[in-house]
Amino acid sequence: MLYYIGAISLILIGLYAVLVKKNLLKIVIGLAIVDSGLNLLFIAIGYVKNATAPIFSSESLTADKMVDPVPQSLVLTAIVIGLAVTAVALGLVIRLYDHHKTLDINKIRQLKW
Amino acid sequence: MEFSPVHYIAVPLFAAFLIPLVGKVSKELVKLIPGLVLLYLSYGSIMLFPKGMENPIIEIIAGFKPPFGIALYYGATAAFLVTLVTLLGFVIWLYSYKFIIREPIEKYYMLFMLLITGATGIMLTGDIFNLFVFLEITAIASYSLTAFLRDKDSAEAAFKYLLIGSFSSAFFLLTVMILYTYTGTLNLADLASKADMIPANAKGFALLLVIVGMGIEAEIFPLNGWAPDAYSQAPSPIGAVFAGIVVKAAVYAFIRIIFLFFKTPEVLHFIVIIGLITLIIAEMAALRQHQIKRMLAFSSLGQMGLVILALGIGTTESTSAALFQMFNHAVIKAMLFFAAGYLVFHSGSKLIDSVTGLGYDKPITSFFFSLGALAIIGLPPFSGFWSKLNVLISIASEGEILIIVLILAASVVEAVYYLRIIGKLYTRKEIDSNPRRTPISGLLAMGILAIVIIVIGIYPDVLTQWLQPAAENLLNSEEYIQTGLF
Repeated sequence: MLYYIGAISLILIGLYAVLVKKNLLKIVIGLAIVDSGLNLLFIAIGYVKNATAPIFSSESLTADKMVDPVPQSLVLTAIVIGLAVTAVALGLVIRLYDHHKTLDINKIRQLKW
Repeated sequence: MEFSPVHYIAVPLFAAFLIPLVGKVSKELVKLIPGLVLLYLSYGSIMLFPKGMENPIIEIIAGFKPPFGIALYYGATAAFLVTLVTLLGFVIWLYSYKFIIREPIEKYYMLFMLLITGATGIMLTGDIFNLFVFLEITAIASYSLTAFLRDKDSAEAAFKYLLIGSFSSAFFLLTVMILYTYTGTLNLADLASKADMIPANAKGFALLLVIVGMGIEAEIFPLNGWAPDAYSQAPSPIGAVFAGIVVKAAVYAFIRIIFLFFKTPEVLHFIVIIGLITLIIAEMAALRQHQIKRMLAFSSLGQMGLVILALGIGTTESTSAALFQMFNHAVIKAMLFFAAGYLVFHSGSKLIDSVTGLGYDKPITSFFFSLGALAIIGLPPFSGFWSKLNVLISIASEGEILIIVLILAASVVEAVYYLRIIGKLYTRKEIDSNPRRTPISGLLAMGILAIVIIVIGIYPDVLTQWLQPAAENLLNSEEYIQTGLF
């Protein structure tokens, strides 16, 4: 349960940063925190109490003593995707800074929503 | 070597990796590779199309049978849409050939290939997490291409798109988690067969996440704020890609998930309503635009609203009409973006007013624009007429007169702003004739699309015979589950 609460509060902290902060870099950091929270949540779903890594390392290790490996492999993929999105976001922030000489989102908005 | 559905994903992905390397040797080769890839895929599509229409082809990856491994599902709907994507992709490449002259060319084509990979992947995959991965591939390539022109506005549009897109992917990942937690599987067919295992409140939450998450990508009001900026700031061929390929893939994924897991009368009713609202708001917004590409973008949102509305009606007729409308929108909107790209280029300004008189100075480009505009309004004898008519007939047979009235009202608004541009194009005005001409590859691309619009307009049966099986495949979850699992 604790894992779920931790992961969900990470997601909420990230959402807060994205929605409230005015600095572009803080928004990108917020996105990264949301990603981490989601990944931890997924790992927590696959967790089995007192279980170990799903590797057939010894004879006594049976399937009910292992955590679910599927969320772990999915999270690996999700981490890579999150990294790519963050990289693109930072690239765009650099470009916006070059054009506007500021990171304040209120001073940048030119296109109408 | 026989063509198999894996090639749709593997070949463009491989080309995307190859292009930057080839770019170190020859720029000309960089331009040619995407064309060859898309030509190969188009050829394969035409070969594979009749087979996929008859029986779904299940392609097993890496020898793990579904539901354990990832499988590709090439059914009638996927066959129809993938064929559309590859053929349209080829035409877009043809147009880009002379249009994209600004460096870095190899990055443009690399991202273009990634977009094709992502879009075909979304349509083909039979695995929900795989769907997420392809959505992200498409999204990341789209963000970067939006910022391709390196000016202030495009960077801002791309950042906005990225911010909203990240929410979309987070919500979708959460959906995948919920579905996995309760069913323990990721295969779409297997998931659908176990959909009863999900408790009602978790299902409701998942539905909310799907509508918000996929609604962003499928450009449903009020989640489509990013779209007009991205469409208008990206290079024109990429505007065509967004309208013709990316949004089609997203709408397909959205509707496939809704039909598989959440197909209840209430949900379908809700989809009809959001489609209708999207249509009306977008058409009203399009009327107020001063920039030609922004106007096209809003018009595109409206058209997709119509498609979503027709899909929400949920009968075989309305679904096949929606697929027909998707096809027409892809072809016609691509042509409008192509023509608008050169109109903007010739007039040197993005504003609608600046095209005044171009109809005499640049007759061919203006002609194509006018043809596209008349086709998208839905005038006979163009293809747009039949799809709009089919949508209206399918709604009429359900007896929803109010919806028909509203669609017709939106069509009138649409006609007003398109005819306004045609009127401006053919208003006589002394302008300095500039020597720049629309290059032959651009004209060829528009010519191909124009022929398609007219031929389908005169002989709609060429296309409509394929719509029935495609619509049935999309609607029939039972068949999807049976064929997807052996």
